[in-house]
Amino acid sequence: MTPDRMVPRSAAQVQATSGAGAPAPARDVYLDYAAATPLDPRVLSAMEPYLTRCFENPSAPYARARAARDAVEGARADIAHLMGAKPDGVIFTAGATEANNLAFAAAGGGVVTDAAEHESVLACAQARDAVVVSVGADSRVDPERLCAAIGPTTQLVSVELANGEVGAVQPVREIARRVAVMRQQRLAEGSRVPLWLHTDASQAAGSLSCNVTSLGADMVTLSAAKVYGPKQVGVLWAGEGVRLRPLVLGGGQEGGVRSGTENVAGAVGFAAALSIAQSCRAEECRREEALRLRLERALADEFPGMVVSGPRSPKHRLPGLLHVSFPGLEARRLVVLLERRGVSVGTGSACAASRMRESHVLHAMGLPPEVSAGSLRITMGRPTSADDIDYAAAQIADAVRTEMQRTGLTQEDMLSRAGGLAMGRRR
Amino acid sequence: MGEKVFLGLSGGVDSALSAALLVEQGYDVTAVYMRNWSRDLPGYRCPWADDLADAERVAVTLGIGLEVWDCEEEYQRTVVDYLVDAYAHGLTPNPDVMCNQTVKFGTFADRAFSRGADLIATGHYARVRRDQQTGSTQLLRAVDEHKDQTYFLWRVGEEAFARTLFPVGDVRDKAEVRRMCAERGLGVESKPDSDGICFVGPVGIRTFLLDTLERRAGDIVEWETGRVLGHHDGAFLFTVGQRKGLDLGGGPARYVVSTDTEKNVVYVTADPACPGLWCTQLDLSDVHWIAGEPPADGEYLVRTRHTGELRPARVEVLDDGRARVSFPKPVRTVAPGQSAVIYGGLVCLGGGIVEPDPVAYNR
Repeated sequence: MTPDRMVPRSAAQVQATSGAGAPAPARDVYLDYAAATPLDPRVLSAMEPYLTRCFENPSAPYARARAARDAVEGARADIAHLMGAKPDGVIFTAGATEANNLAFAAAGGGVVTDAAEHESVLACAQARDAVVVSVGADSRVDPERLCAAIGPTTQLVSVELANGEVGAVQPVREIARRVAVMRQQRLAEGSRVPLWLHTDASQAAGSLSCNVTSLGADMVTLSAAKVYGPKQVGVLWAGEGVRLRPLVLGGGQEGGVRSGTENVAGAVGFAAALSIAQSCRAEECRREEALRLRLERALADEFPGMVVSGPRSPKHRLPGLLHVSFPGLEARRLVVLLERRGVSVGTGSACAASRMRESHVLHAMGLPPEVSAGSLRITMGRPTSADDIDYAAAQIADAVRTEMQRTGLTQEDMLSRAGGLAMGRRR
Repeated sequence: MGEKVFLGLSGGVDSALSAALLVEQGYDVTAVYMRNWSRDLPGYRCPWADDLADAERVAVTLGIGLEVWDCEEEYQRTVVDYLVDAYAHGLTPNPDVMCNQTVKFGTFADRAFSRGADLIATGHYARVRRDQQTGSTQLLRAVDEHKDQTYFLWRVGEEAFARTLFPVGDVRDKAEVRRMCAERGLGVESKPDSDGICFVGPVGIRTFLLDTLERRAGDIVEWETGRVLGHHDGAFLFTVGQRKGLDLGGGPARYVVSTDTEKNVVYVTADPACPGLWCTQLDLSDVHWIAGEPPADGEYLVRTRHTGELRPARVEVLDDGRARVSFPKPVRTVAPGQSAVIYGGLVCLGGGIVEPDPVAYNR
């Protein structure tokens, strides 16, 4: 793949939308791949025939609809293969949020989840009898604590594979092992209450294996939009023991679990995207990790008061996600300064940022509000180059210095506000 | 550094230019985004995120600080609850009038001065004139008569205006404001004017009221005859003079003459000359005079809606503090609950809330 072909817009085009006055930035560096990824050109070519020539309804009775039907089933088989699963467990949905909702709809009774989940999971949990367990300061779930919250009526445990805000990889396999033991105990005691483990792997699919056997989960959510595929295309995989209950009723597509004419091009695009993502995964993880560390070091050298959140061990984090806080500064302000320099970074999950509340993930980690207010979520992706990172590092440092100067915040002030969390105190 | 000014910055065109002008005039400016109450429906994108982002861009361009102040509680109490209560009682309120009194020139002003502000500023189209000799301050209509917003400022006191700047009040017109914004690279020059009630958002007041107040089936009655012409979902949904939305299934155009929210009846007429649709006199309660003292009885200019006609009228202050406005010839009835604002030349003197018209209501 040619990386620069995936960069959505040129710096000049970005400038045209950001008002007159300021000169065009020297470079356009998008660093918010956890929010959205550009469609890989190969994915686009795979989808194209199903948007134009093979447009038929897969349910149509005549022969020419066969290609569309085969394409959906082929995509289902490909995705199942990539997940190490059987095709009939793969349900196409309109994105990860719907897949998460579908997983929750399968279970009656109580649910157990953790406080750092995506809002689609937390909203489903809050709508019913739920135990939301807290997470550690690195945003990781303690499997023992989580499983201690499972009661006799609990039917669903939902823990994401990787967190999209600070990049923590959750111990899903360990949780699965414990859940399996509890399920066996239930059976031994003659209880017929099911106990299922669901994992939202949408943020993880580009960096981790989605093999359902090694994950040990009963349901897995994936999203095409996070792996250089189309938006509004997702999958819920459910194992044989799970009986899904439809949320969308109608023509009975997807085995009656998700009605609505199949998104043929979307399914094909997802299969292509997931296949590319999994095949270049190991190399891309190494590359993104190096870029992340390069950026982290450049900024930490400059700002000893900077706080880096999330697990420290590379095994427990997404390689290309850097969450940094500049205590005493306002993230909103930094985002505006950076957009003028052509650098696009996030401030947290998009929903939390637009509501201008403290991020629920940072709150769950116990990050002081003063620290979380100055937080940037910087995520690199396949098109990101080392030059991009060097440019971004210089621009972020410049924006932070500009704001420190304007507000009269010294390095010592930032360091003291960061307390023991400061990078400068870690060494 | 010049005097310390706290400016309300909304992300719109007018306050953006105000910020730029204050900076150019050498003031030490702190911008404040006031977060007001908004319907927080689960799953809906909050309506103010884009405005706040625009405000932040303006502040960054000008190199000034932007703070976000949470005014949600007082906004809900004094503006939203007031609005709902007024509609429930058959009145047609002006929520912007209350917002200016209690939020912008109430909470915001108090907090700004307690933070050490010398002055406050907003993007209103209005002017203040300070009389050096008497030490008094007057509120004047803006240079741009089409955008003048003094109609919404009559409940604010002189002491607040004495410490207020309205930087766009002297600009020729809105086109000039947009041009000046563009010139300064503020990036908001093509944003549409925000008219209407901000917190209701794009759904409109009718939908908001239907969601908030209980629907009650009632009759639409012909004012002259008492004949039932149709039905409605709640008298609170109707306003005097309203023509649309009666849904009477054809026939001549009919106008709402009055509403009775207690009996839940809407009175209409097909006669444009119906006496209930016209009045020569308005009685005002809840009267407020900007200077603190009422003006002498006499001839003034009166405005009964934002940017509406300034009509010559006689204004008398009644013994109980209410005021009576008498027009030389009949004018269209004003919906009770609306503001009538009184001017002496360019000077906004104050105003009051229009009481129900005895002709329309005592059939």
